[in-house]
Amino acid sequence: MTPVLSVRNVSKSFGGVKAVDNVSFDVHQGEILGLIGPNGSGKSTLFNCVLGQLPASTGTVLVDGKEVAGKPPCDLNKLGVGRTFQMLQVFPEMTVLDNIILAGQEHKGTMLSRLFGKPDAGLTEEALRMIDFFRLGHQTHEKAGSLSYGQQKLLDAAMAFMAGPKLVMLDEPAGGVNLTMLADLKERLKAFNQERGATFVVIEHNMEFVMSLCTRIIVLANGRIIAEGDPETVRNDPTVIEAYLGG
Amino acid sequence: MSKHTLATLVAGLAILILLPFTQSNYGVFVLCSWLVYSISAMGLNLTLGYAGQVSLAQASFMGIGAYTTALMTMAGVPWPAAMIAAMVLCFVIGFLLGYPALRVQHHFLAFITLAFNALVVLMLRNEEWLTGGTYGIVGIPRPELFGLQTQKPLAFYFFVLALFVLMAVALYAIIRSPWGRAFKALRENPIRANSLGVDIRKTTLLAFAIGSSYGGLAGSLLAQLTQFIDPHSFGLTISLKVLLMVIVGGAGFFFGPILGALLIVLAPEFLRFTEGYYLMIYATLVIVLMVFCPTGLLGLVERARTALKLRQNPNATTWEAGR
Ligand SMILES: Nc1ncnc2c1ncn2[C@@H]1O[C@H](COP(=O)(O)OP(=O)(O)OP(=O)(O)O)[C@@H](O)[C@H]1O
Ligand SMILES: [Mg+2]
Repeated sequence: MTPVLSVRNVSKSFGGVKAVDNVSFDVHQGEILGLIGPNGSGKSTLFNCVLGQLPASTGTVLVDGKEVAGKPPCDLNKLGVGRTFQMLQVFPEMTVLDNIILAGQEHKGTMLSRLFGKPDAGLTEEALRMIDFFRLGHQTHEKAGSLSYGQQKLLDAAMAFMAGPKLVMLDEPAGGVNLTMLADLKERLKAFNQERGATFVVIEHNMEFVMSLCTRIIVLANGRIIAEGDPETVRNDPTVIEAYLGG
Repeated sequence: MSKHTLATLVAGLAILILLPFTQSNYGVFVLCSWLVYSISAMGLNLTLGYAGQVSLAQASFMGIGAYTTALMTMAGVPWPAAMIAAMVLCFVIGFLLGYPALRVQHHFLAFITLAFNALVVLMLRNEEWLTGGTYGIVGIPRPELFGLQTQKPLAFYFFVLALFVLMAVALYAIIRSPWGRAFKALRENPIRANSLGVDIRKTTLLAFAIGSSYGGLAGSLLAQLTQFIDPHSFGLTISLKVLLMVIVGGAGFFFGPILGALLIVLAPEFLRFTEGYYLMIYATLVIVLMVFCPTGLLGLVERARTALKLRQNPNATTWEAGR
């Protein structure tokens, strides 16, 4: 079966710094792949190269077997790839409902139907369901900027799912989220994975979160993949332990 | 739309219909200028207030619209065709002016659009064979509608009012549509919007194009209102004036530019008794407003309303209070 995502020999340098160094891996349908590594190991840079946010210095990326290198982020989203950024990114002056509808509207109809058609692109019902799913129901009409940090993180994640993507890439979804919400978030992600067959790549520093969520883990250090395998293997891999302890 | 809002709108429209009957010819002229500048400011509000793209070139689009309409109608083209041509031309030029915005933002964009405005004024002044140079164009005809002449001030007022209402309704529809949501998303967080499938390039260019076409129509109407145009009427100071209307009224509020235009068109009338001090008083008022309420007058109203409701009901959410 063609992998949902195929990263081939991707490198990215900033001046003299090789942030990502010849990284290759595949992600298959239904997988939850964890991407871990010490601070500055190149995880976010790798995401940005894959998703068209940054041009890779070398290498190619395939989504469903089709080359996507050089495509802008909006085109990748249209191909069914959702994402979040490491830094929280919502639209603070727009309501929660408008944030969520925005996240789905570009996938509905044509440019013209989005001007002359329904103001909500026919998405209100689906958006309300998504908002409930992330337990933000009582905040539907609040401005996103007035939500707590944790709730904004949930909203951010919810937006990544709104267009019904086949692949979702989350950069530290648990960062700054409190413990009760964390368990909730994990449960939500698992539900998406099982019920809708969505595939995930998740960057996360919270080891417990990663180990209990992911089916496979890739470890990055200094821009290179140093280990790969199921959570148990990775946890006990001496090179991994050294990379974390050695800094 | 709530019943309350609907009632306010109907009342507002009734006032707009009855008001000119109480006015002298000069009063009707002032009302017409207010509506014309409101159309221009509404367009800039879309570009700047909703989509977050700074533009100091709105007057140049009024100029392009005015000259297009003047030249075409005086060459015998029917006025509806001339006015549509003015809007389409401004849409296209505005679209092109959006390209720099894809690379630079904020004050750099302000400088580029400012330079564009200067360029347009220079062309209007120098291409005498077409534009009449500094002397401008006189004797621009007013439209004739179903055999009805709008040469009289009252008739022309209702022509302007009709277009004003039409353009306001159109803008309202755009802002409520997915396009409007994309414009706001562009203002608030272009990177996130892009990652959610919003084509940032198209959205930016359209924000300029639509805003500019509103400027074009306003220019068209201004040419017919004054029946005389010259390059001076579309200079940088006029762009700043339109910008001020948007900011003073409240950028990103639907009625902001309409209120702003009212104040800025009427201010000289009310401050006339101060004679030489007019500009000083005017400038001081604007500075005071900007210091204490950078979100404009409607921003001030919203703040006051939320605070009041929160005092009445401390447990209300800001949304409930803001309603
Ligand atoms: N825009 C940039 N310009 C220059 N250097 C950069 C840039 N972005 C990242 N880097 C560098 O690239 C390296 C990898 O950074 P990156 O943010 O990808 O790490 P990370 O694994 O996501 O770290 P963290 O866990 O802290 O988020 C770091 O050395 C960083 O300083
Ligand atoms: Mg990172």
